[in-house]
Amino acid sequence: MDWIIRSGRIVDGSGLPAFEGDVALKDGKVVRLGGRIEAEGAQVFDATGCIVAPGFIDPHTHFDVQLLWDGQARPALEHGVTTIVPGNCSLSLAPLKAGDRQRVVGMFQQIEEMPDAAFDGAFEWRWESFDGYLAALKESLSINVAPLVGHSVIRLWVMGAAATERAATAEELAAMQDLLAQCLEAGAVGLSTSFVDVDENLMPVPSRYAHLEELDALAAVLGRYGRMLQVVPEFYATDITLARVDQLAELSLRYGIPTTFSPLFDSAATPDNVPRVMARVAEQMARGAQVWPQVQTRPIDISFTFEVASLLFAGLPKWYRTMRMGTEEKIAALSDPEWVAQLLAEAEPGGNGVRWAGVQVRGGVSDASLVGQTLGALAEVQGTSPAQVMIDLSLQHNLEASFIAASLGHNDSDRVGALLADGNVHVGASDAGAHIQSFATYGDTGYLLGHFVRDRGALSLEAAIKKITADTARIWGLPGRGQLAPGFAGDVAIFDAAEIDRCAEEACFDMPEEGMRYVRASKGMVGVFVNGALSWSKASGYADAPVGQIATQLPGAASA
Amino acid sequence: MAELSGCRAFTAPKPGEDWAALAARVLPGTPEGEAVEKLQSWNLHLFARHPRGQFLGSDVVFTAPPAA
Repeated sequence: MDWIIRSGRIVDGSGLPAFEGDVALKDGKVVRLGGRIEAEGAQVFDATGCIVAPGFIDPHTHFDVQLLWDGQARPALEHGVTTIVPGNCSLSLAPLKAGDRQRVVGMFQQIEEMPDAAFDGAFEWRWESFDGYLAALKESLSINVAPLVGHSVIRLWVMGAAATERAATAEELAAMQDLLAQCLEAGAVGLSTSFVDVDENLMPVPSRYAHLEELDALAAVLGRYGRMLQVVPEFYATDITLARVDQLAELSLRYGIPTTFSPLFDSAATPDNVPRVMARVAEQMARGAQVWPQVQTRPIDISFTFEVASLLFAGLPKWYRTMRMGTEEKIAALSDPEWVAQLLAEAEPGGNGVRWAGVQVRGGVSDASLVGQTLGALAEVQGTSPAQVMIDLSLQHNLEASFIAASLGHNDSDRVGALLADGNVHVGASDAGAHIQSFATYGDTGYLLGHFVRDRGALSLEAAIKKITADTARIWGLPGRGQLAPGFAGDVAIFDAAEIDRCAEEACFDMPEEGMRYVRASKGMVGVFVNGALSWSKASGYADAPVGQIATQLPGAASA
Repeated sequence: MAELSGCRAFTAPKPGEDWAALAARVLPGTPEGEAVEKLQSWNLHLFARHPRGQFLGSDVVFTAPPAA
């Protein structure tokens, strides 16, 4: 034995009741569990009083870029996440011709709010093919990766500039099928596509120019490999989402593939959205289709400054246009009474400040007493509007004043808890690694286990663990992962059930060139094993353990 | 296989179709102008984004009005 995880309470991922005992790891895998295990020479990790569970699997991330300079995908690993799925929403970093790199970087920056520093000089582009990208990842990979390949980049590879102009020809369609097959052979877990996203010029991404016939042809390839189709639907419009559910169901039934769409949000503004979508999903699941809605656990919070164009403003054309200006032009616009009057009119229909009144000052201001105050309260004192307060504070602080719009939606714990417990819901949609200057996308699993399991009893610990381990592995076809059982990967999360949670969101300057992002540290997690190696512990932090694998292959089949 | 309940009717555009061609396919027998007008009124979501009023290959195009 290499490791014995001693005296924990084992929740094995199957959904069956927890039981006491040890877990033994050897050569990267679980070899025994339950009862007392003795083995000479094995290292011992004391799990007394802790839950011992399979490592968590996050099915919706955008760690594609970060993995190239941070093979641990910090801080996902310290939250117990041992396997991640990058490449969502039609975007991946391969296959990608050198000449198309900047186009894809622009899409990542627009859609996932990735800063320049994430790309500029942070890594060396040495690949064009999908297997070349995986080879680059494997050089320092400490977490398991099941990468999707993006439909937009497949289109770009085959069609070039025409990818955003027209339908594919029969020859181009065949070339896309061949290319997708190559990616799947190399280790891709499936194909991602988007029906909603725009590029940095606010024009539709390539995948949106594909007719259903093209998606059908690519789904046929997925069917040969039994692989996943992930889509971003028009989640803000119920009727369209219902249509997407039906389209996915037909592809699933025709080719025997799993499909998933993300996100699905609960919202007080459209309370019938989730019930209607889930009713349709249930009907399609009853027909044998696999259409898995991904639901995130956390409420929607968005932080922002006037320095960068937050997606929070995407629904306000005048504001968004202003936010996308260069700094000097932006300051000039925000100092122009006529321009500001138009902004205020757009932001505050009726002039009552409803939209912005609840937004809080987060930081970046000289007067610390302002932090935590709402724009509405400040506006009342100053006899002006909340949006005007926001503009004034930004101008006074060189656009560095920061604000937070908290609990914008998906924040009714009764409704979200019931949704997460639904047997047809796939817990995911964290977006980890993206939107890094708008909100922290880490700790959703801690929030699930702390807020919804321990504090509210929305679902049992065993059921919750199953949803983020064995269920995810089964839905995505990840062999040998998601359970603690002999022969399965030695991916283990060890935590204190009384403490498990996520810490407060905080600004962190650990991006390339000391770039800022929001993160949340873990709480209650005490140890994380990846493929049998102790990769993070509360006592010692991150270990240098480049043991991550491509999770579409059997554990141990390909060492990093 | 379980039967599906009714849902708002929709279609996916075919390669090369414009509004008129799509209208002729999904609303045969309706005069072209009237058919296009109906379709566009049922698909206002296509007018709230770029490219305004046009449909893309991947779009959902409703062929019936929303439920009352």
